[in-house]
Amino acid sequence: MPTDAFPIRAVGLGKRYGSLTALTDLNLEVGQGEAFGFLGPNGAGKTTTIRLLLGLLRPTTGEAVVLGKRVARSAAWRGDVGYLPGDVKFWPRLSGEETLDFLGGLSGRAALARNGLLKRLELGPAELARPVRTYSDGMRQKLGIVQALQCTPKLALLDEPTKGLDPLMQQAFYEIVADMRRHGTTVFLSSHVIAEVERVCERVAMLRAGKLVTVGTVVGLRQAERRRVVAHFREPVDLAALAHFGEVVASAEQRVELLVGQAQMPALVARLGMLPLVDLLVERPTLEEAFLERYR
Amino acid sequence: MSAMRVLLRHHVRLHRMPLVPLAAGLALFEWIMTFVARQPAVSRFLTSALNAAPPEFLALLNQDLVSSVSAQGIIGVGYAHPFALLMMAVVAVRVPSAALAGEIGRGTMDLMAARPVMRAAHVAAALTATLAGLAILAAAAYAGTLVGLVFRPVEGVSTLRYGLVALQLWLTFACWGCVALAASALSREPGQAIAWAAGLMAGSYVLDYAARVWTLLAPLRPLSLFRYYEPQRVVNAGISGIDVLVPGAVGAAALLVAFGVFWRRDL
Repeated sequence: MPTDAFPIRAVGLGKRYGSLTALTDLNLEVGQGEAFGFLGPNGAGKTTTIRLLLGLLRPTTGEAVVLGKRVARSAAWRGDVGYLPGDVKFWPRLSGEETLDFLGGLSGRAALARNGLLKRLELGPAELARPVRTYSDGMRQKLGIVQALQCTPKLALLDEPTKGLDPLMQQAFYEIVADMRRHGTTVFLSSHVIAEVERVCERVAMLRAGKLVTVGTVVGLRQAERRRVVAHFREPVDLAALAHFGEVVASAEQRVELLVGQAQMPALVARLGMLPLVDLLVERPTLEEAFLERYR
Repeated sequence: MSAMRVLLRHHVRLHRMPLVPLAAGLALFEWIMTFVARQPAVSRFLTSALNAAPPEFLALLNQDLVSSVSAQGIIGVGYAHPFALLMMAVVAVRVPSAALAGEIGRGTMDLMAARPVMRAAHVAAALTATLAGLAILAAAAYAGTLVGLVFRPVEGVSTLRYGLVALQLWLTFACWGCVALAASALSREPGQAIAWAAGLMAGSYVLDYAARVWTLLAPLRPLSLFRYYEPQRVVNAGISGIDVLVPGAVGAAALLVAFGVFWRRDL
C-alpha cells in the first residue's frame, strides 16, 4: 500500500521526559477516510501521541509520518490538518472572528467551511464579535471546533472534541464529523467518552500507561469480549454447574448472571437446556464494558 | 497573505496599545530635556549641583561633568536617563517574552504551531516585531528632541547628532531584545523569560555602573553591554566601530540560540 493510503503512520514512536515514559513504541496506521478512536484513561499518553503526530513534541524514539510526510522534516503538510487541542486556549482579548481569521490565515487556505460550521454550532455574528474572554466553556469549545475544521482539512486530529458541549451541540458535532467523512476526511478522535467513540469510529486503539493495549474495529473488540448472560430459572440451581462455563458475577434466588467467552457459548446453552430455564438474555458487551475489562 | 505577515499582524495587535503610551512618554521626556537644556537657570543649578555631587552619582548618569552642563550635554542625559532606558527595556523584554514563552504558557502556541508555519518563522516574526517596536520608541525619542530643537533652536546644538544617539539607543536595546528572545525560546512561561532577560539587563547595568565607580572592577566594564552605549560620546564623536560590533555580535549569538533552541524544543 502506498504511504499516502495511511494519513497517519507511527513507527516505534516513543516519548520520554527524563525518567518519565509518556509513550512507548507506538506502531499505528490509520487509513484514508477512516474514523479512528483513541481511548485510554488519564495520563495514558493520548495527548502526547497527538502532539507527536503534529510535531509539537520531538519523539525520543521512532518517527511519525502524517499525510505521507515525515513530521520532523517539514511544516507544509500541516496545511491539510485540522487540530483541536484537548484543553483549547485562545487569546482573551481577541474576538471570535479575529481568532478564526488569524488561525485561518496561518493555515494558508481559504476557510470555506467556516460559515457552515458556525451555523451548525449556532455561533452567530454577535457572539463572534465579542472578546473570547467573555465566552463560556461551551462557546470556546465550539470556536475550537470551527478553527480546526474551517479550512476543510484532509485529516482532523480532535482531542476530546465534545468536552463542554450540551447534548444538542454534541449531536451537531457528530453530524459534522459524518459530513466530513463523506467528503473523505480522515478523523482521529481521542476521547474519554466511549459511547462517542463507539458512535463515530469504526476502529479504535486503546492505550494504557503509554503502551498500546489493543487496536481493532469497534465491532471486533466487542465480539472479542465476554458476553453477559442472564438466566432465570424456575427454581434455584447449583451454581457450580454453571461456573464451569464462565464467571458468575451475580446470583440471587433463581437469577444467575455470568460472563462467558464466545467459545463457551454453545456448551453453556446446551447445559442450560437441561436446567429448569424460564428466560435467557445474552448481551454483547458495549465498547465501554470491553474498555473497562481491558483496564481492570 | 504569507504566514510571516499574519504573525506580524498578530504581534502588532497584541502590543500596539502599550507601545503608544511608551512612545508618547519617551517623546515627551526628550522634548522636555530640550526645554530644560536652554534654561540658563537650569544650567547654573546643574553646574553647582554637579560640582557638589559625589563622583558615584555622576557615574550613574554616565556623563562627563563638563559636557553635561552644556545644553548639548543636558539633552544627551535624556538618552542615558534611567527613564528612557526603562521605556526601551519594557519593549525589549515584553514583546519577545510574550511571543514565544507567552504563547506556550497560555497554551495558544499549540494552535499556531499546528499550522503550516516553520518554527523559524515564529522566531523571525517575534524578532521583527521587537526590532520594529524598539525602532518606534527610538524614533519617538528622536522626534521629541527634533521638535524641541527645530521649533526653538539652541545655539551650537545640531539635531543630527541626536539621530545617531537614537540609532545607538535602538542598537543597544535591539541586542537586549535578541537576548530576551533567546530567554523566551528557552522558557515555558513568560515570567521565566522576563526574569532571565530583565535580570541579565539589570546585572549588566549595575556592572557598568560599579565598574565606573570602583577602579577594582574597571577591567570588567567591557563585559557590560551598557559600556557600548554612551550618548555623550556619540554626540561628541559619533558612533565608534566597537559600539556597533560588540552589541551586534552579542545580538547575533543570542539569535543563534533562539533559532536553534526553538527549532529543536518541545512546545
